[in-house]
Parts: sequence; structure tokens; C-alpha cells
Amino acid sequence: MSVRAAVRAYPALLRTGFAGAVAYRAEFLIWMFSTNMPLVMLAIWSAVAREGPVPGYSQKGFTAYYLCTLLVRMMTGSWVVWELTMEIRQGTLALRLLRPLHPLIAYSAENLAAVPLRGVLAIPLAVVLLATAGRGSLATDPRLWIMFIPAMMGAWLLTFLVMALIGTLSLYLESAVSLFEAWLGLSAVLSGYLVPLDLFPESIARVARVLPFRFLLSYPVEVLLGRLSATQALLLLAAQWGYVAVAFIAVVVVWRAGMKRFGAYGG
Amino acid sequence: MIDVRDLRKHYQVHRRDPGMRAALRSLFHRPTETVRAVDGISFHIDEAERVGFLGPNGAGKTTTLKCLAGLLYPTSGEVSVLGHLPRLRATAFLQSITLVMGQKQQLLWDLPPAETFLLNRAIYDIPQKEYAETLSELTRLLELGPLLGKPTRQLSLGERMKCELAVALLHRPRVLFLDEPTIGLDVSMQATVRTFVREYNERFSATVLLTSHYMDDVTALCPRVIVIDKGRLIYDGALDELVRRVRPDKRVNLRLSRPVERADLARLGRVIEQKDASAILQIGKDQLQAAVAGALASLPLVDLTIEDPPLEEVMRDLFAQETERREALP
Amino acid sequence: MKPRPLHALRVVRALLAASATLAVQYRLEFFGQGALALFWQAVTLVPLWVVFGTRSTISGWTFPEALLVIGWFTALKAFLEGAISPSLMQVIEHVRKGTLDFVLLKPVDAQVLVSFAKVEPWRIIDLFGASAIFIYAFRQLHRAPGLAELCAAFAMLLAALLVLYSIAIVVVSIAFFAVRVDNLMFLFQSIFDAARWPSTIFRGFFAVLFTFVLPLALMTTYPALALLGRLSLRAALGAALGTLLFAALSRVAWRFSMRRYTSASS
Repeated sequence: MSVRAAVRAYPALLRTGFAGAVAYRAEFLIWMFSTNMPLVMLAIWSAVAREGPVPGYSQKGFTAYYLCTLLVRMMTGSWVVWELTMEIRQGTLALRLLRPLHPLIAYSAENLAAVPLRGVLAIPLAVVLLATAGRGSLATDPRLWIMFIPAMMGAWLLTFLVMALIGTLSLYLESAVSLFEAWLGLSAVLSGYLVPLDLFPESIARVARVLPFRFLLSYPVEVLLGRLSATQALLLLAAQWGYVAVAFIAVVVVWRAGMKRFGAYGG
Repeated sequence: MIDVRDLRKHYQVHRRDPGMRAALRSLFHRPTETVRAVDGISFHIDEAERVGFLGPNGAGKTTTLKCLAGLLYPTSGEVSVLGHLPRLRATAFLQSITLVMGQKQQLLWDLPPAETFLLNRAIYDIPQKEYAETLSELTRLLELGPLLGKPTRQLSLGERMKCELAVALLHRPRVLFLDEPTIGLDVSMQATVRTFVREYNERFSATVLLTSHYMDDVTALCPRVIVIDKGRLIYDGALDELVRRVRPDKRVNLRLSRPVERADLARLGRVIEQKDASAILQIGKDQLQAAVAGALASLPLVDLTIEDPPLEEVMRDLFAQETERREALP
Repeated sequence: MKPRPLHALRVVRALLAASATLAVQYRLEFFGQGALALFWQAVTLVPLWVVFGTRSTISGWTFPEALLVIGWFTALKAFLEGAISPSLMQVIEHVRKGTLDFVLLKPVDAQVLVSFAKVEPWRIIDLFGASAIFIYAFRQLHRAPGLAELCAAFAMLLAALLVLYSIAIVVVSIAFFAVRVDNLMFLFQSIFDAARWPSTIFRGFFAVLFTFVLPLALMTTYPALALLGRLSLRAALGAALGTLLFAALSRVAWRFSMRRYTSASS
């Protein structure tokens, strides 16, 4: 399908995806409540900070950090890896391939369409954030606020593309899901989801700052919290989108090769 | 042996129209409807009988069966199977019955059927000697030899059904509940299942209750049929009597190479449908041979098939007769 | 149906044998999943390690003492994700496929049949990991638990397992009423994640939640306290009583759901 046609079809796909997200709202709510790790970590760090100082983070600082983490996580989450691996395993991917629409574009619309719904729930969260942590915890530089948008987009794209990549790998590997679990584990540690990256020992923090995991979560959070200068943020934005480009190319390559294989085995 | 008296099973269902307003309204007032799945059925079945429950989808056959098996509590009425009240689910009762459901299996999916057999042996507490005897008998009757060691998911639908039958009969139940066992199977496998069930019934004097909406299942297997529709028992008696009573006609489908006159078709039998390249005739069984010979001789045929009229039509006739009969009562 | 305990035990043995046979078939997966389990254990330890990197005592717990809590957490997680969850999720599959009738027709209590339906033996690696954590922690503490402490800890472990199982039964019973709630189990597992922390750290809302609503405190903190010899008799008895109460309630919930399924109450 040509790019022009895909672009024309996209709004319709988004509309359908949104309807689907609304239909599955019960599941979504349950998923939302399952993403409670940041709140638990907040409770822990609050207790720690209450008993004594933690370098770089006050109690309010932790509140701001973890509420932002929750916000970013909610807005950038995807589920394409599960859908893709299941469709490959059950052979229903063949049905998608019959349509004049690239499956990955269809998946992206589906996942993207859920964002507004999550946005609706993100608003009360943002309100809570402002109320508890106060404006002082957030960035003051307007340039950072401008950069927050592409940072979020980059985070969403990177999350989606890596999931799509691993999902596509299940055309080759039986155990692509295990690979994804390994990715999840590493990103839980290295993306700042469990623990702010600056609280790691310096040797580990230095590595974590350049790995792609940071750009899934920690980077947008750092921008929002004003923990980066405008120049730093800009450079890191370039790095983030660099990773996005790499992921994109990887997905295209692996998908093309995978399709040949899929076709050869009759799907 | 099996006694059913005025069995009723009613469900309360909440009806909800689509749309936002109805959804909001449903928070305050939920209209319930009573679905009368089974509405006063009575019959008696003796040991070693083979009985078929016939009726269209949603008639209440499966519900009746489940009440007999103890899977559903009746709303009212009395049910007695082998002297037990099924809903009490006494151990002795459960050891004497079995259920086979078409397209649903109890075989463990990723393991060979042999593993499920072992599991059921423990569940039903079957002594080793008896187990070995039953297993070898079933393996012989169903030709299971090469199938037992392959994982269930690698078996074809028909092979799975054979193994399903075997695993259901390991504990030598006295009553077999078969719920649409041949659905989805190809013609030869359907025949295999029917032959096996009949053999099993004759060898072990097991009572067989079969529900189906395939006339052929019942024709091949059940001398006695119970017809159920809309939860009511419409007919209970010998099968040939039913067929004779209701519709002794056959349907003949013709495919033609060019259009023909309606009169040419009407000469052979009653014309149900006529299009340019095809036609359907309804012909009494006695006139069938002559009509087919006539069609072959006089019509430009591409294809000709003979089949029973659809069951729904047979039933409709049956119900029409029933309604007339009921209305004629004082 | 009259209860027949010996028969039930034989059935459980047969169910476990079936699970084991299945697991042996997927040998490669055994080691792959085992490696993943160890990986997740390492991931679990990271936050604890970072938190105690800032301070040596938090809410009265030192790092080795907190390790004991994580050790129990790991062990319980193994039972939860390796036995309780996969088995009870089968019930939801049965309801969806319409094959629950087969379970109900067997001359065995349905709850027994579904509780042991699927066990993943490679989770035993988690238990080795937990033991390693215990040994390391006690080395750091420069002492070893006495016999009384071990017995108390074992009793608390049994209580914890029973509570975990009961919660799972309640979750599954809900699935009979509302069909699309298999992710309720996922939700529970995510909440259970908070049990890796000593429960005394939590304040306010979380404290209430994790002590009374979902007794995570009971599951991991109490066995740890028992090992350290710091579990009061009152707390232990309270835990035992609470556990039995929970188990009884879950059995009622299960029976209620079963009756509803067979529309006994209509």
C-alpha cells in the first residue's frame, strides 16, 4: 500500500482503534491499577526520605518523580508485542496480510488510538501531581516544556517499535516472549521505572544514561521535572530520535526478512 | 432407570438494549425476562435403551441433558437417574455416568491421550486389571493404537473424537450422555462414531441418551426419539413412526444446462423452487424412483442430488400438526 | 459428595504427574524459563539494594533483615506464578471453552481438580534462589536461626501459602460473574509485588491496604520476623486465625460461584 493511501486511511484506523479502546475500558482500568509499582516505590522512598536526606531528592521530589513516571508510563504504553506474537502463533497474521494495509501500521493506529483515553485519566493524575508536589518541582524553562512533546512522542515510538521488533522476531523464535520479558526486566531497572537513575552508583548511572532504556521513560520525566538544562535536553532529544530511527530500520529489516520466511512456511 | 416428571428449567435474563441511555437506565431498572428453556417435560427410559433427543437449536435438548447429568439444577419437577437425584452429585452417581460433548474435549491438549487416561483412572479409582481390560477393548473397537501416544493437538478432529469417546468410557459408565457428538465431523467419522456407540450399547448394556440436530445420527442409532421444541416434548416414540407420520417426501435438487418449462418439472413432482439453471422438487418416497428416471430422461441435467427435506421443515410440519391437534381439543 | 481425602490425594498426585510429564516435554523451555526466573530475582533485588545504599536502616530494618523479606517473597512468588495462578487460570479457560462441565462431572471435589491443574516445575529454581538469599542474609547477620525460629517460620509460610491460595480462589470465583476478568489475576500479581518490602515501612493508606485488605504483611514480613525470632505469639496466633478465616471465606465464595454456575440458586 502506498504511503499516501496509508496516510489517508490512518484517521479511520484511529477512530476504530479508539472505539476498541472504549469497548475494552474495563481491561484498561485493570491495567491501569496494575501499573502501581511507581506508587509503591514512592511509598518506600517517602519513608526513607522522612528518616533522613537522600541526595538530590526530597520527599516532594520523589512524589513529583514517581507521579511523572506514572504519567509517562500510562501515555506511552503499548501492547503490540502480545498481539503480534499471538497472531503469529495462531496463524491469523495471514488474514492481516491479505488486507492492503501493512499490519504494523494497523497495530500502530490501534495502540495510538488508546492514548486519548489514557490522557483522560492522566488529567486527574496531573492535577494530583501539581497539588501534592507543587509547581516548584516541575520545569520552569518554557523551552523544556516545548521539548516535552517530542520527548513523549519519541518515548511512545521507541516503546512501540521495540515491541514490534520483538513481536516480529517471533517469526523466527519460539521464545520471543521470553526475550520481551528480558527487555522488560532490563527496562524496569534501567529506564528509571523502579529507581531514579541518579540514585544508582555512578558507574552504573553512567551506563544507564546512554542506553536506550533511559529514553523510554526517564528522559521525558527528567525534562518535565526540569532536571536537565535546555541544551542537555535538546542533545538528548536528538539521541532519543536517533534510537527511534535505529529501531525503525531494525523493524523494517526484520519484518521484510520475516515475511519471506513466513510465506515460505505457509503461515 | 431414568425418570423425568414435569421437568422445568427457567432462566432469568437481563435484557439490555445498546446505547448510552439504555446503559444508564439499566443502573436503576433492569428488565428481566424469563426464558423457558425446558417447560414441563416427562419421560421414562429403561436400561440399555438408545434414545435420541431431536429438536432445533435452542430447543432445550442440551438443557434437559444437563439436568439429567446433574450439571444444572431444575427449576421444578422430578428427575431420577439410576435411583439418584442427579443434582446431589453423589459419588456413586458420578461413577456411573459419562458425558461426551461435540467439539469440546476433556483430553489434555498438550499431552497424549494416554496421559488423560491415566489421570481419569486415578479420578475414577479404576482398579488396574479392570482398567487394562477396558483400555484394550476400547483400543480395539475404536482403532486407537497409533493415536494414544501423539499429543492431542496433533490429532485430527475425528481422531480426537475417538479418543474422547475412549476416555469418557474408561470407567464403564452405565449411562452415556452424548451432546451433539458428531458435530463438525466428516461423514465417515460420523459413521464410525455411530457404529461404535451402537456396539458399545449392545455389549455393555449401557443406556445411551443422544442429543443432535442431525437426523442421520438419530436414524442410524436410536430406535426411539424424543422430539423437543421450545422446551416442550412434542413426540416420544419409535423413529420410523415419526418419519412416517411427518414427511415421507424427499427433496430433489436439479442443476440444468438451460432453462426448462415449469410444466416439464411439475410433471415429475411438486416444484418448490425454479430458477434458470436450477430447480428443487418435492417428491413422495414412493414416486421417487420414477421421478428420478423421468428427470434423467427428459431434462437437460448437469447435476442431480436427493436429500431429505430440511429438519426444520419436518419439525415445522410436526409442530403444525401438533398445533392443529391442540387447537382441535375441546 | 462425601469427602474422600485419600482418594483426593491420589488424584492430586496424578494431576502433578501430568504437569511434570508436560514440563519434561519442553526441556529447553525448562532451562530458558529457569534462567528468566533467576533474572527476575536479580531485578527484584535492585530497588532494595539501591534503597539501602542510601541508608543502613529503614523503619527499623537493616539490609540483611530486609533480604529475608525478599527471600520469602521470592519463594511465595514461585508458588503463586508456578502453581496457584496457572492452575486457577484454567478455570477461566474452562468457562470460556465450555468444558467446565467435564470438571463438575468427575467424582472429585471440583476445587481439588482445578487447584492442581497446571504446575510449572521450573519455578523450583526460584526456591533455590530464595535459599541462596536466606543463606547470604544470615551470613551478613553473623548468626543462624534456631529450631524454634525455623518452625515458626515454616508455620508462617504455610499460612502465607494458604492466604495466597484463598485470594486466588476468590479472584477466580469472581470470574464466574463477570466473564472478562482474567486480568484480575494479573492485577493481584502486580499488587502482590509490594510484598517484597517489610510491611512496617508503609504508612497510611498502603499500611491499611496491605495489612487488612490484602494481607501482604502476613505473607512475607511475618515469616521473616519469625526467622529473626521477633514474631510475637500474639501476632502469630492472629495470623493463623486470620488465615483460617480467609480460607473459609474463600471456600464459601467458591461454593457460591459453583452453585451459581449450575444455577442452583435460581
